[in-house]
Amino acid sequence: MAFFGAVLNTVGALFLTHAVYSAHEHTTAFVSTPLPLDITLELLLGVFILSTGIVVSADKLKPIQYAKWAGQISREGRKPEGKYTREGEEILGEGDPYAFLGLDGGIGGKGEGRRGFWDVKGKRKEYDEWVRGKQ
Amino acid sequence: MATANLLSPPSSIPPPTALALSQKAPKILANPPTSSLPWPLSLLFSRETPESWAVHENLFFSALRTGDERSAHQILERLESRFGEQNERIITLRGIYNEATAQTDADLEKVFDGYEKILREDPTNMSIRKRRVAVLKSMGRTADAITAVTVLLQNSPTDVEAWAEASELYASQCAWGQAIYCAEEVLLTAPTSWTAHAHVATLHYLSTASNNPPSLGELSLALKHFCRAVELNESYLRGFYGIKTVASKLLPLLSDTQASSKKRGEQDDEDVPIPTLTSVQKLDELATKKLGEIIRDFGSKKKGQSGYDEAEIIAAKELLNR
Repeated sequence: MAFFGAVLNTVGALFLTHAVYSAHEHTTAFVSTPLPLDITLELLLGVFILSTGIVVSADKLKPIQYAKWAGQISREGRKPEGKYTREGEEILGEGDPYAFLGLDGGIGGKGEGRRGFWDVKGKRKEYDEWVRGKQ
Repeated sequence: MATANLLSPPSSIPPPTALALSQKAPKILANPPTSSLPWPLSLLFSRETPESWAVHENLFFSALRTGDERSAHQILERLESRFGEQNERIITLRGIYNEATAQTDADLEKVFDGYEKILREDPTNMSIRKRRVAVLKSMGRTADAITAVTVLLQNSPTDVEAWAEASELYASQCAWGQAIYCAEEVLLTAPTSWTAHAHVATLHYLSTASNNPPSLGELSLALKHFCRAVELNESYLRGFYGIKTVASKLLPLLSDTQASSKKRGEQDDEDVPIPTLTSVQKLDELATKKLGEIIRDFGSKKKGQSGYDEAEIIAAKELLNR
């Protein structure tokens, strides 16, 4: 769909440019005659194709309803957007906006929210126990 | 969900993921984002983005938790040379580093005293106040941690993160009333957070789960908040799980009270509206249906494609088979 949109955009832009150029040429060459019909039609066609292309190549719409939008996040998790940072980390789409509250792990859960209160000692102990359990 | 992404780390990091995260350290340490050229040129050839510093910070945390202190120190130095040692965030990171490398309780005490000193110089440093709470908690002094967090909240009553922390601290002491109060303060600031609603509901449920018979009002409130959570998020597994669990406690209780008839209307001491038997039954059916859908949906997807945790799905299956 992205390719189709790009083709429409290119063709539309060409038509539009050509129509504008023709109109300019016509008005400089024949000052007192009205604009011929084919230039008008080409202009309208160019605008139509270009707007279709822009609509087609737009991103997928997000759900408008809060519950549906949140449900999508829960069902599908954070989806990759196909872009990477310089360090090679993939940029992910949006997740739970309130993850910073750290309330999703239940009472006494092991979530990573609430970074301000991050318990480094506890996490280190957890990791040490895991390593020792593996040996 | 176990993909190791340093830019946006998953919401829970089990040890294998932590290891995978910290193993990215050599690659990132080998390529500094800032340029080594002298001043005016360094501005032109710098390749840093806000994301690269977020990656550095997350790498710092995972290096510390896996005991890779050398990498953590290198990252800290890089951050210090970029943002300056007096930056509030850098002071906090340095504090976390000191906490992690403290071997004995006496060392940790020393780090704690260092925080007191920083706060005497700059009492507005909120992140250091939060570190104090975290240190007290990790030393097992939960009562002191609660006092520290209440002082913090008196100074900054709109800090949701601190309210959430206070709620969890009280809950760990089984002080349900206080825990619920703090959780409701979170709701005031974040009324559309489905996790916060589920948290309040869980607290209401736990406060009465061990009683026999459980309090009808508390269970109704738990049901109400779980319903709000699934109203905000139509595929919230924890919400539906909660509705089903609360309903299984409420149903026998409601049918008992309905058998002993209209006496309930008179002794309505709390102003909690009690749901009717039929509406609870309907909610129970709805939750069963939704949980079944979620489990089927999870089974049909490939690993890592779903937003749900596998442990959650297994727990939901067990609840349905009960």
